[in-house]
Amino acid sequence: MLCENCKERPATVVFKQETLNDKTERHLCDKCAFYSQTFSFSPDQEPLSIQQFLAHWLGGSELFSEQKADERLPDGPKCPNCDLTFHRFLDIGKFGCATCYVAFSGQLPRLFAKLHNGHTQHRGKIPVSLNERFALKKKLEDIRTKMQQAVENERFEEAATLRDEANQLKQQLSDGGDDQHVI
Amino acid sequence: MSFEKFFKQELTGWMVAEGEHADIVLSTRIRLARNLQDHLFPINASQEDANRVSQALNQAVETMQDHHFTGTTMKDLSPLERQILVEKHLVSPQLINPKKHGSVLLSEDETISIMVNEEDHIRIQCIYPGFQIDQAYEHADQVDSELEVNLNYAFDETFGYLTSCPSNTGTGMRASVMMHLPALTITKQIERIIPAISRLGMVVRGSYGEGSEALGNIYQVSNQITLGKSEEEILKDLGSISKRLIAHEKKSRELLLAKSEVHLENRLFRALGTLTHSRILPSAEAAKCLSDVRLGIDLGIIENIDMNILNELMIFMQPGFLQQYAETELTSDERDILRAQLFRDRLGVVRSATQKKDSDPL
Repeated sequence: MLCENCKERPATVVFKQETLNDKTERHLCDKCAFYSQTFSFSPDQEPLSIQQFLAHWLGGSELFSEQKADERLPDGPKCPNCDLTFHRFLDIGKFGCATCYVAFSGQLPRLFAKLHNGHTQHRGKIPVSLNERFALKKKLEDIRTKMQQAVENERFEEAATLRDEANQLKQQLSDGGDDQHVI
Repeated sequence: MSFEKFFKQELTGWMVAEGEHADIVLSTRIRLARNLQDHLFPINASQEDANRVSQALNQAVETMQDHHFTGTTMKDLSPLERQILVEKHLVSPQLINPKKHGSVLLSEDETISIMVNEEDHIRIQCIYPGFQIDQAYEHADQVDSELEVNLNYAFDETFGYLTSCPSNTGTGMRASVMMHLPALTITKQIERIIPAISRLGMVVRGSYGEGSEALGNIYQVSNQITLGKSEEEILKDLGSISKRLIAHEKKSRELLLAKSEVHLENRLFRALGTLTHSRILPSAEAAKCLSDVRLGIDLGIIENIDMNILNELMIFMQPGFLQQYAETELTSDERDILRAQLFRDRLGVVRSATQKKDSDPL
């Protein structure tokens, strides 16, 4: 079968187009099919920029703004530090500050999975200062377990010493930052 | 110490033709993106914010024991000087944007550059000649660890290093290998290889990164994923893909030589002729011919030309350097004429020396 368009080369692609009222099916060769596409795509073109990716592939700005006029969709979470909204973040493809990661933490795993081949959790280098904090946290957990055992066995003097030690470690941790959520 | 010297020494460390697989791999680059916890990211920052970050960096660098850096803000440089730093690959084109508040700290040998207030507060870049992924990472990692002693990095247990762009979150590391792949390009195999590599979480681009063409058959292979893989895993993957590309390129060169030696020789010598005899030499043509002459040297077809001179010309042929050489601004036509003269002079000296040597009686 020859290409319906150029009538020169063999038809290798079935080109289907669907609109609200109509459905068409055309048999085209590779070349005509390539040039018939409603959006231009060249195999040599640069990969999508991160802004384009976020805005067009994850239902970002354009999708939002079309609906926004009628429905006033919320902008999503907003960063309390730099005022960046999640909607705006999708638009520009950049975070405004480190706190944005906390503000958008609910949305981020899905986004990171798309960007990083399904990965959502860091597995690389950890700053040395943070490594020290991990070590402190671990030690604190150990002391709390020992303290619990001492109380259960009515070794109250030992429990009191462990409690003081735990308090000291807690103080060290709070000096170095938040115990619960380290950023 | 004055920043002037960085413009005077044309041949920067990574341009020397050495290191493993130096015939195919030009350089290896590691870039680590870091941000400070209590400052707005550069995209949001005012001049004052940017100054504070820059000051924090300068202080941190001063206390470093194993490294000595010299710094300057982009605003203190002329447009030509900024252009030269980009052409030497010491800073990114984004850093020199006059609307931004960028600055740079360079190590004495230009191996390490720390870009400040680019897309992230800090971008540590380490470039080594040839294929030296582990060595380049080790060096960048060492600088990072030293800086971290005095800086409070934005880091999260789940997301890792917090970067301005989500595509860098995690390790914040972009590792890349710059390769000269003429045989894979001539045989059109590269067109099939590039999409395959992208499926492995790696990306192949032109030599100046995103948005640039593969000028002179030079490609940059780098990791795309920064989250969920450790630095070691990323480097291992990049290393194995690079080695496969090197092996494919070598095989293609052998095949080209075996199947069409005369045609290949014709092409390579014509390129040499163009470089040594042109009166007008546009940059794209110069890059293409340089690629062919380089291939000719690697295959032993073209002799008596030092690869370092080709590397020097690769840098020198760019607009910024040509204008510095001429000590004046040049139009595009004037640059093409000066470029031709530069190639004739530089390669002509080599050739006449060779001819003289050849004609010397024993």
